[in-house]
Amino acid sequence: MTLMRYAEALNAALREEMQRDPSVFLFGEDVGRYGGVFKVSKGLRDEFGDARVRDTPISEQALTAMAVTAAMSGTKPVLEIMYADFLPLSLDALINQASVFSYLWEGQVDMPFVLRTQGGGGVGTGAQHAKSLDAMVCHIPGLKVVAPATPADAKGLLKSAIRDRQPVIFLEHKLLYNTRGEVPDGDDVLVPIGKAKVVVEGKHVSIFASSKMVIEAENAAKLLAEDGIEAEVIDLRTLRPLDLDAIRQSIAKTNHAVVVNEGWTFCGYASELSATIMEYCFDDLDAPVARVAMPDMAIPYSEPLEMAVLPNAVKIAAAARKALA
Amino acid sequence: MATPITAGAVAGEYMETLVIVEWRVGVGDTVAEGDVLLTIETAKAAVDVEAPCAGVVSAILAKAESEVPAAAVLCLIGTDLSDVDYDGPKVAEPTAVKTPGTTLVAQPVASFAAPQSPPTASPSGRVIASPAARRLARSAQLDLRMVHASSPSGRIKLRDVTGAMQSAVAGSSGAPVIVPNESGPLKVHRSGAAHGAPIFMIHGFASDAQSWYPLDRQLAKDHPVYRLDLPNHGASPKRPVGDFANLVREVREAFDALDLDGAHVIGHSLGGALALALADTRPRKVASLTLLAPGGLGPRIHGDFIKGIAGASRPESLEAWLKVMVNDARMIDAPFVKAAFAARSQPELRAAQRHMGETLFADGTQSFDLVAALHRLICPTRLVWGRKDKVLDWRDALQAPGHVGLHLLPDVGHVPQLEAPDLCLAIITSLIKSI
Repeated sequence: MTLMRYAEALNAALREEMQRDPSVFLFGEDVGRYGGVFKVSKGLRDEFGDARVRDTPISEQALTAMAVTAAMSGTKPVLEIMYADFLPLSLDALINQASVFSYLWEGQVDMPFVLRTQGGGGVGTGAQHAKSLDAMVCHIPGLKVVAPATPADAKGLLKSAIRDRQPVIFLEHKLLYNTRGEVPDGDDVLVPIGKAKVVVEGKHVSIFASSKMVIEAENAAKLLAEDGIEAEVIDLRTLRPLDLDAIRQSIAKTNHAVVVNEGWTFCGYASELSATIMEYCFDDLDAPVARVAMPDMAIPYSEPLEMAVLPNAVKIAAAARKALA
Repeated sequence: MATPITAGAVAGEYMETLVIVEWRVGVGDTVAEGDVLLTIETAKAAVDVEAPCAGVVSAILAKAESEVPAAAVLCLIGTDLSDVDYDGPKVAEPTAVKTPGTTLVAQPVASFAAPQSPPTASPSGRVIASPAARRLARSAQLDLRMVHASSPSGRIKLRDVTGAMQSAVAGSSGAPVIVPNESGPLKVHRSGAAHGAPIFMIHGFASDAQSWYPLDRQLAKDHPVYRLDLPNHGASPKRPVGDFANLVREVREAFDALDLDGAHVIGHSLGGALALALADTRPRKVASLTLLAPGGLGPRIHGDFIKGIAGASRPESLEAWLKVMVNDARMIDAPFVKAAFAARSQPELRAAQRHMGETLFADGTQSFDLVAALHRLICPTRLVWGRKDKVLDWRDALQAPGHVGLHLLPDVGHVPQLEAPDLCLAIITSLIKSI
């Protein structure tokens, strides 16, 4: 085990996979000389050269289409989109190319690329640089979507994503990059895509979260414990495909579900979770599934206002208490 | 405030009963004055009953396709839905609405099919409960209308159902006893001849299949005899029974599983009510019916007896209640008490029976009404009742239609088969031979 920051864990994953497989290469805005705005690709250009770590102009649409064609041509591109807020520019390549080409050509082409991006609020970056568009990419069949919360999962999942034959959208969070955690040593320690993890065990209410919201959920569990409520926190880790077994097992135990996502509430990822739970766990539910998500509004630039609207531990705890009341 | 709705003049003055054809509104619906609430059938015509005022339908008191007295209150229109709380006690209020000169509450005539038990529930008002609570209540055969919602949401939750299932019944020591929730089929004791017309016997409340002695031994000489143990009695599983309709269902399942053709069904007290309901729903399978002091023919029942006999935790207290059952208290001698108490020595059994008694005879009332079923019977039927019965009122027998034979025994209490065994045997065997 090594204590690492989340960004360092991602950097290690990239380095190891580039050493392991010469067809892996990185590209994106400022990923080379600058090492990425969040320093995820720091030092990699020096180590692997500018053919495998490429700085590009600012055009998310062209970059994503490049990733698609590069993946089809036998390489394993890892694309960084600097802000998830600009994922909409990538959508045509994702919806009409990446997610359907394998189907259109009867499986004759693989689509082994990773699109890394980061979203989330909490640092005053305003309405255009703080969004969580998880639902937008999770809506697309043919894509896998992961959103790790810890350095260990960040490393293990990024390695799995790079080795995957399907396109994987890798969602990071700007407030997670400096979080620290123990990361298992070894070049082949993978975290499987599609497996959730129980991070806090409890028997009264299940809280499902991903990415930075896992930390909020863990804090909510501490708040609830003060009232004698034992919350179970499940880190989904992969948003699509969903680990339905883990969800069912937990709800069968607790009979109560709180679903958390930093994205918008309406048609959001929390809504999808809620609907899934209702379909598969209906008879286990002892209260309506509670959604804790971002209100349907632009993210305010004002820091106090931003803090007021983002989902947090207090709101999660309140939702859990209400479900249990 | 709620406005009681009756059929009023549309029912026709000369009609005694009417049939609810269809409800056009549900509980919680907002209606305007003049909206059609329901369609009833009187004489040979279907007639709409309209709302006399605007408001929210807060309770529906008569089920579709049921027959009710013409003057019965059919539903309530409250001005505010907040009047309606799904807590048991508050839903009871509609039953207390009085309209001068009318029947208090529409009790469907064939109410065993649409049970009004407990009387605290609104028959078609949907109970709000969580899916998990519903599932548990279903598996426990617990009537959710019996369950109090503790959540501020007003929704019955799992904890409310488990609480109701465990409804702490204080034993003699005052310690709560848990009502068990066992699964599995009811126990049927088989004895007697290999061939011959089968006899199916259903015992009464707080009794068991052994109580048919010596009648069953006599009948077994010529017949295969099947003696049922009701749930929470004898060797049958102990579990909450829900309402009378559920109990009927359990009995019917046990009866159907035997696949008897032309069974002669004998029931005593609660078992009589069940036998009657069974014959009503399995007319082709029942060859004859003997009802010994049957329940279900009137609201009166000795409520203290039900509580006392089910809960008696000492032989002395059991003895006192056993003596209420019979006319001649000398029959209840020490060996009888000892045997009776031995059969009910388990605290869980007593707790389960007490819970069952509270469920079926809430408020010391028989809320299931089988008079219509008695009138519908097509098989030869004998009604045997002691005129000194202190548990049920023998005068209820007088509601029987002409084709039911009445045997009203002088100087006999609630247990004719114990107090006049030879006569009972003669009545039953002559009935069977007559077919």
